Amino acid sequence: MDPVMGVNSITIAVEGMTCNSCVQTIEQQIGKQNGVHHIQVSLEKKTATIIYDSKLQNPGSLREAIDDMGFEASLPDLTP
Amino acid sequence: MPKHEFSVDMTCEGCSNAVTRVLNKLGGVQFDIDLPNKKVCIDSEHSVETLLETLKKTGKATTYLGTK
Repeated sequence: MDPVMGVNSITIAVEGMTCNSCVQTIEQQIGKQNGVHHIQVSLEKKTATIIYDSKLQNPGSLREAIDDMGFEASLPDLTP
Repeated sequence: MPKHEFSVDMTCEGCSNAVTRVLNKLGGVQFDIDLPNKKVCIDSEHSVETLLETLKKTGKATTYLGTK
């Protein structure tokens, strides 16, 4: 990760996914968001790992975006 | 109140739960979800556009079928 470019990564816990189509819709929807470089959703671990541009997104906005889709998303304990 | 019928491409419990959550967030709606037939029947004062927008938030293919 290069802090100068504002690239950051975060893992968000996502509840409520039960199948691969849930995983795919989240990947597609969030992947479309401005400032999201890459997203990987794990059904087993119930997490979404997102690589994003911290100038355009922040953990809160990403969590909000997943929550908006109807999945329970929560941020890990952050100690900046 | 008019009953609007929508077709939402839901494939599993998780999908229908997501629809439930977004509709509850919108508020002022009463709805039935028919998962096997991929249909959502909504009883609400909201306009069809608002409901459609809300359903589309889930990222599923959604179409308006008409009033019932």
